[in-house]
Formats: sequence, C-alpha cells, structure tokens
Amino acid sequence: MADPAVASGGSLHLGGRGGSGSGGGGSGGKAATSPAENYYLARRRTLQVVVSALLTECGFESAEKAAVETLTEMMQSYISEIGRCAKAYCEHTARSLPTLPDTVVTLVEMGFNVDTLPVYAKRSQRMVITAPPVTNQPATPRALSAGQKRTHPSHIPSHFPEFPDPHTYIKTPTFREPVSDYQVVREKAASQRRDVERALTRFMAKTGETQSLFKDDVTAFPLIAARPTTIPYLSALLPSELELQTLEETDSSEQDDQTDSENATGNNISDDPGADKENSMLPPGGVAPAAKASEDNVIDNPYLRPVKKPKVRRKK
Amino acid sequence: MVTPSADTSVSNGVYVPGGITNGDVKPSLSTTPLADFLMQLEEYTPTIPDAVTGYYLNRAGFEASDPRIIRLISLASQKFISDIANDALQYCKMKGTASGSSRSKTKDKKYTLTMEDLTPALSEYGVNVKKPYYFT
Repeated sequence: MADPAVASGGSLHLGGRGGSGSGGGGSGGKAATSPAENYYLARRRTLQVVVSALLTECGFESAEKAAVETLTEMMQSYISEIGRCAKAYCEHTARSLPTLPDTVVTLVEMGFNVDTLPVYAKRSQRMVITAPPVTNQPATPRALSAGQKRTHPSHIPSHFPEFPDPHTYIKTPTFREPVSDYQVVREKAASQRRDVERALTRFMAKTGETQSLFKDDVTAFPLIAARPTTIPYLSALLPSELELQTLEETDSSEQDDQTDSENATGNNISDDPGADKENSMLPPGGVAPAAKASEDNVIDNPYLRPVKKPKVRRKK
Repeated sequence: MVTPSADTSVSNGVYVPGGITNGDVKPSLSTTPLADFLMQLEEYTPTIPDAVTGYYLNRAGFEASDPRIIRLISLASQKFISDIANDALQYCKMKGTASGSSRSKTKDKKYTLTMEDLTPALSEYGVNVKKPYYFT
C-alpha cells in the first residue's frame, strides 16, 4: 500500500543536502512543479523537514505521512497565530513594532509555558541544524499590459499601487463625424452616381448580349445589344402608363361636366364611359368624351378604379 | 516596557503595583530571564531557518524589528511540536509494553509515529483530528 509512506531518516539526509526550491525528493514530491508553486511550497517543505528532524530527535525512527503533514500544518498555523497575536498586542498599546513582552504575552495566551523555554533551548542544542533557507523565486506573473500607465499625481504617495492600464478608463468614440461640407458631399454624390451608372452598364454588357464597335477586338468597348421588337410601331400606338393616367383624369373631368348637364341615372350610363374608354385607347390621340355621367363622387385614390357594372339591357 | 508611576517601585525590571503586600501576590509573568535568554539566542540557531519563520510571521503582519524575536518564536514552535511528539511517543510506548512483550530488549527500538498515537496526544491539547481511514 502506498500509504503509509514512511518518511524516515532519509528526510534528514535531505536536510543535509540542502533543500532548494526545485527541491530534492522531499516527502513524495513526484512531478516537477511550476516555479510559482515552488515559491509557495518551498517553505512548506522546509517545515516538513524541520518536523521530521524534531521527530527524529524525540526518538521516532519513522512516521506516517499523514502524521507529518498534520504536524507541519500545526506548526505553520502556530507560527502564523503567534505573529498575528503578537502584532495585535503591540498595536493594542499604540505601538507598531512588536517587542519581546508582546511575544511573551502571546505565548502565555496560547498556553505555552514560557519558563521552560530556556531549558528546552539548552537541551536541544545537540540537534543538527537543518538546511539553510530556500532561494527566493518571485512568482508574480507579469500581467498583460497595453500602453503605459499614468504616473501618480503629486498628492499621491509613491508606495500606493499604480494606475491601471489606460485602456480601462479611456473612451474612444467608435464613429467619426460625417462630413457635411457642401462641396465634398456634392462631389461624393456625383462620383457615386457616375460609378453606379458605369457599373450597371458594364454588368449588363457582361451578362447580356453585346455588340462591339471594333471588328477585330470584341472585348474592348462592348455595347449593350439592342433587342429589336417584333412589331416596332406598337409602342408608338399604345400610350404609356403615364399618358393613360392623364387620359383618365381628363376623361373624368369632362364627364363630370356633362353629368351636371344631363342629369342621367348613373347606373345605366356608367358602363358607357368604361366602353368609351376602351374605344378611345385604339384611335391614336383622339379622345372622344362622348361619355355620359359617371359616378357622382370622384375617387381620389389612384389605386382605385370606378366600379364596372354589367350592361343592363332595357327591353322596350 | 511599562513605565512605573511615582509611588511604586521597580525592582529587577518587574513592575510591582503599589498596595500589594509583598508575598501575597507574586507577579506571575516576568520578562527578565527571557531578556537574558534572548542574549544567548544570538549564538544558538534554532532548527527552523529564520527566513521561513520570518516569512510566515510576515504573512500574519508581524514585522520583526529584532531577529532574536524570530528565533524565540521559532524555538517556541519547535518546543510545541516536540512536546506533542513526546506525548505521542509515550502513547506508543504504552501500547507496546501494555501487551506484555518480551523484556529482553526493553522495547522495539523502532518507533513509528502513527495517527493512532498522534490523535490521543493531540486531543490532550484540545486538537481533534479525524482522518479518513483509507485513502490511496
């Protein structure tokens, strides 16, 4: 069984060799530890060596690893507690540097019989002195820093911590103010339009059919090929949408005039303006506003058409 | 050190408050022998290196003006641990001789400090340790 691993007199030999930071075997130190860990563990290992030495002096040949660990932990916390308590006592009397009476009172408070201390010191002088202290490895990693830190103003003492990196408190706006100069804006608009036109024509030339000016070089200066329509005169005969709209408007306005004069029922005659409109599409340009009254109300909405009612034939 | 008032006497560095009849109350704490002892500490180096003790004391906020105080503290903690170890040794010996082993060699010279011996020794100091029974 791995446990109890005995830390026997071998630990004492370790003390003789000198326990440095990277550390001899120690008590069960297997893998290599990082320098930062070594920095903290080195003193702990020294304490373990000391505890082992004390056990050997008492007469133990070997010890359980758990027992050594327990005693090491107790020793470390004992030292820390003495330090804290002595500091508290010295500050209690409005001093800042602890002295001997502070320490003595601390030891008494911790239940330690101070009178026996000189006796003990004299007795244990035959013990071998353990290893010299470990080498110092500063383990502070250099934090990622960007930019230079600001220096302290004059009213801040130098032993205070430094300012943080400037990127933590400096704000840079991410947008740039747009240019509002008339000339620049006008130039920009003109160049943009020219670029768009050129790009569009090039795109049409590249994707559609092209005709070329030069016989030998087809790719230079391609022109967009004209697509001849089958009935060339159709577009001349048919009015465009815009013309149609204006046609309707003029029609309706003339029909309103005639409605007032004739005063006919709108239902029967409402078909005629529709039929007239259809007829009027074919003869070029000519508009014969023979239509009678249409609806009483004019529809303002360009998306609405007047209702077409079916022809009612009156049988007479 | 304390400053004596006008109506009291200071003898051998111990502050005796006025009004206490001699022999009734003895000051239980006297730093004189330790002050002398501190002088002797200069040549004697305790087992714990000064740097290690100083490191742990610094962590607690104790900045030592005098290195001899550090030695005193390290000596005190040494004694603390060795007292516990001695008690554990007593337990170990008790367990050994209680079973009535052979008297030819007084006891097996090899003593091993185990948790079974350490636990009752520590309990006398008010420290209760409970370790798991089995762990690899």
